[in-house]
This record gives sequence, C-alpha cells and structure tokens, in this order.
Amino acid sequence: MGLLPFFAFLTLFLFVPAGGVFIDALRTENGGWSLEAMGEAFSGQNFQAFKYSVKFSAIAALVGVVFGTLLAYAAATISRPRWLRSLIASFSGVAANMGGLPLAFAFITLLGARAGVFTNILKFFGIDIYDKGFGLGNTWGLVTVYAYFNIPLMVLITLPAIDGLKASWREACANLGGTTFTYWRRVGLPVLTPSLLGGFLLLFANSFAAYATARILTDNSMIVSLRIGFFLGGDVAIGDDAVGYALAAWMIIIMVISMSLYWVVRKRAERWRS
Amino acid sequence: MMPGSSIGQMEINAAIADELLNTAPVGYVPPSAGKPRTRWARVFPALVLLLHALFFLAPLLTLARYSLQNVPAFLLGRETLFKKWSLKPLTMAFDHPSFGPALKLSLQLAVGTVAVTLLLLVPTAIWVHLRVPKARAMVEFFTVLPYMIPAIALVAGIIVIKPHARWFLNSDFSLIPFYVVLSLPFTYRSIDAGLRAIDLKTLVDASRSLGRGWAGTVLKVVIPNLRTSMISVSFLTAAVVIGEFTIADTLLKETLPRFQATFVGREPQAGYALNLLALLATTALFLLLSVLTRKRNPKRKTFEHRSAQLAAKGDLSS
Repeated sequence: MGLLPFFAFLTLFLFVPAGGVFIDALRTENGGWSLEAMGEAFSGQNFQAFKYSVKFSAIAALVGVVFGTLLAYAAATISRPRWLRSLIASFSGVAANMGGLPLAFAFITLLGARAGVFTNILKFFGIDIYDKGFGLGNTWGLVTVYAYFNIPLMVLITLPAIDGLKASWREACANLGGTTFTYWRRVGLPVLTPSLLGGFLLLFANSFAAYATARILTDNSMIVSLRIGFFLGGDVAIGDDAVGYALAAWMIIIMVISMSLYWVVRKRAERWRS
Repeated sequence: MMPGSSIGQMEINAAIADELLNTAPVGYVPPSAGKPRTRWARVFPALVLLLHALFFLAPLLTLARYSLQNVPAFLLGRETLFKKWSLKPLTMAFDHPSFGPALKLSLQLAVGTVAVTLLLLVPTAIWVHLRVPKARAMVEFFTVLPYMIPAIALVAGIIVIKPHARWFLNSDFSLIPFYVVLSLPFTYRSIDAGLRAIDLKTLVDASRSLGRGWAGTVLKVVIPNLRTSMISVSFLTAAVVIGEFTIADTLLKETLPRFQATFVGREPQAGYALNLLALLATTALFLLLSVLTRKRNPKRKTFEHRSAQLAAKGDLSS
C-alpha cells in the first residue's frame, strides 16, 4: 500500500492527461464516439506530415547511429591520454541532454543564412549552401542539429556494448585465419547488432518527440510535434479540435510502438554483457 | 627456487618457443594479428575524434563569438577578427524587467520539482525494496512510461483536462507535477540504483533492532547512504526544469526559457548571450555534479561504503 501515492500521482499527472487526449480524439461534438477524427488525422495533409516526420526522424537516427558508433569505437580504441575516454563519456552525458533553445541558437550562429560563421566561410570559398537548398529548418539542417544530441546518446548506448567485445574473440578469429574484415563481418557486427538496432529505435523516438529545437529553427508544420503545437496554440486550422487531439494520439501510438520494440531489442543486447 | 633451475627452465622455454615458431603450420598467425596495427587503423580513430571534436565545439564557439563580438558574420576577416569584443552583452538581459520574474519562477519550479521528486520517489523506492521486491520490475516499467508520451502530447492532455481543473492549472506551480513525471525515467532509476548499492535490509534491521523507529531509520540511516544518488537526481532534475521549453511555452507560463526565446527577438546579441549563459550554467551544474559525486567515494571507507562495494560486486557476479 506504500505504492499508493506513487500510482495516484502517476494516474493524475500522466494517465489522466494521456487518456484525455485519446478520449477527446474519439469523441464527436454531440457526445458520441467515432473513429473519424483518428482517420482524418492520419490521411491527407496530416498523413503527409506523419510520413515526413517518420522519414526525417529515421534519417536523424541513422546519422546518430553511424557517427555515434564511430565515436564510441574511437573512444574505446584510443588509450593513450587516459582522460580522453572519460572526457568523451561525461561530455556525452551532458550533450545528450542538450536539446532546446541554446542548441538551436548556437547552430544559427554556425550555419544560419546570414549569422552563420561557417556559412560565410564556405561563401568565401565560393560555396553557397543556401543556394543548394540547405536550411536549418529543412531536413538536413535539422538532422545536423539533432545530431548534436543524438550522437552523444548513441555513444552512451554503444560504449558498453563495444567494451563488451572481448579481445579474445578477435584473437580467435585471427587464429582461424580471419582478417579484420572477417572479424567485423562475422563477430563484431552480429554481436553489436541488437545494440545498434536499439540505439536506432531510441534515437528515432528522441528525434520524433523533439519540439523545442525545431520550434526555434522552423515553422514547418510538416513536423508532427510542431503541427500539434500550432494546433494547441490555435495558429493553424487543422479541422475539428478532435483532429488535433487525434494527431497527438497517433504520436503517442508511434512512440509506444518504437519504445516497445526498443525494450525487446535491449533484452537481446544484454545477453552478451554478463 | 634455485637460480640454476630457473635458468634451465628458461632454456627449455626458449627451445619450445623456437620449435613452435619453426614448425608452425603455414597458416599460423601470431595472436596479436587481429589487433589494429596498420597505420590506417591507428590514424582512423584519431581522425574520427578530431572531426567530432570540431562538430561539437564549433557551434559553442560561434555562439560565444556572436554573443561577445559585435561584428556581423559576413564582415569577419583578418582586420575585424579582434575588434569589438565585449563582455557587456552577457549581463544586458539582467536589466530587462521581465528577466527577474522569469528566473525566479524557473528557480522556484526547479526547487519544487526536486522536492516533490525526492518526497515521492525515495519513500516509494524504499518501500519497494523492503516490502515488495517482486514489484520492482513492475514499478520500473511504470517509471519509464513517460518516455512514450512526448512533452507536446502531454501538453495536449493538460489542455484537455484544463476545463475540469482550472483552479489548479491556472497556477504557475501546476507545472511542477508534470515536470516530476517528465523526469521520472531517470530520477527513479537513479534512486533505485542507489538503494541497490547498499544492503538496505541489513541496515534497516540493525537500526530497528537497536530501537530506532521507522522515521528515524529512514532519516538517519537510509538517507545518508542515499546521498550521492539524491544529489545527482536533484541536479539532473533542476537542469531539465530550468531548460524546459515545450510545456511552459504552450501553456504560456513565463519561465526563463520562454524569456530566452522572446528576448532574442528584441535584443539579438544580448539574447544569444543569455542563451550562452544558460548553456554555461547547465554545464557548470553537470561538472559540479560529477565533482560532488566522485569525491565522496574513495575518501570515506566506512562500513556502509564497504558493504556497498561488496553489494555492488555481488550484483556484478550474479
């Protein structure tokens, strides 16, 4: 019974609001129930928004997985200055939580159209990235900014897994005549796969749910989290109120699916770590 | 052992080694073969590190430059690089009449969220460990559920229930319980790990059999042992609350991040400088945290520390 306050708290401040979203998404104006709003929130323009957001979050996650794994591998390999590894680990801990406003503003000063230092350096060498369609609010701009917290998050996930690769496996592979390529193809990557897949799912959910950073960089209502924000602020006409809440309901459903998959995969990833 | 025999052993070893090398099969590779040894394998990690260092430092440096140097980026060049630097923009935001109230509200929310988090989770976690250890996995599952509800969806839910609880949600402090929920996934896990590292049952049994009541046991025995994880929970939660934008912005609560966002529109340079300060403050908070939580352990080798070490070891081997 000592758990009562905890569950009461969780019910009041998590389950009631989350349930409220679903109830308002399913209720019609005259008090009946209907799936119409849920359907409308997942078709036409709204469906395009979901498609774009899922695609964009998947790209952002993939970039995070690739570079995060490379960084974790480098951190695990380089042993010479001993503090380097712990520096990377603690920096990752900080940067993985560094979403939000300051990050968005920092990237405006680096890659912004006018204020960006790097933009102007490239322009000096005759490359105008904005002429080529780059923008901080576009897919690749946001992917670049999100990489700032996705890469460190991936490092935190894969560093233990890479440490779990035993030197003896590499030696065994070499003794059996395998090359470095054989080792990664047959041993390293298969062992790391659950961790990489889990990292991808977590980074996907992370990018899909992000709001504050994108809010500063763009008004693009194709990003589902911003679309919901505009609806809640009354800035954009999506249709009925129910459709707006149905958008949030679909967002929760997608998050539940990807996080559930993450936990399934994580169970497998832990197998090699004992 | 006699020196002679040891030399003899060495000779035998050398002979065996010699024979091994000369009679090894053609495909034999020394055991070190799989380790990275080509030049590329040594340069590659360094290159990866260098590129990442550039990527992670560049935005911070340009943010600092924009905040402290009043020269437009397109005019940057050899002559202007060292001109018009000033620390003044850093403090300009402090003079704005809305800054004080926003900072105050954010700090109050941070303190409130930390207090509610500790008051709710420490007793819950202790209860789970002592009374219903079987429920631990279940409780942990519930604490990670907020991961599945993005902040923007939670706000949608808050707006849904608002007509039914206007008296509560109109207050600025109504954000506190939602921030507690938002940080639940990492706060509960940290307290849970702290409890797992000590032999809670033995400590509590010992204290109880020596005549302390429940309140005294928790306050004088359990809490001091949980200090490290409680400190880290407090710092992380405070950092999350002070930087939270989504919920506060949508519900129009005038917190510090909302001020940061609007002030940039009014005074770009000072606004960016304020964001730089926010970033530095958060980083400082994390650094302080790692100092605070690291210092204690190696110095104090008290009973509880050693039992914690033993418990941790048992945890690893099981």
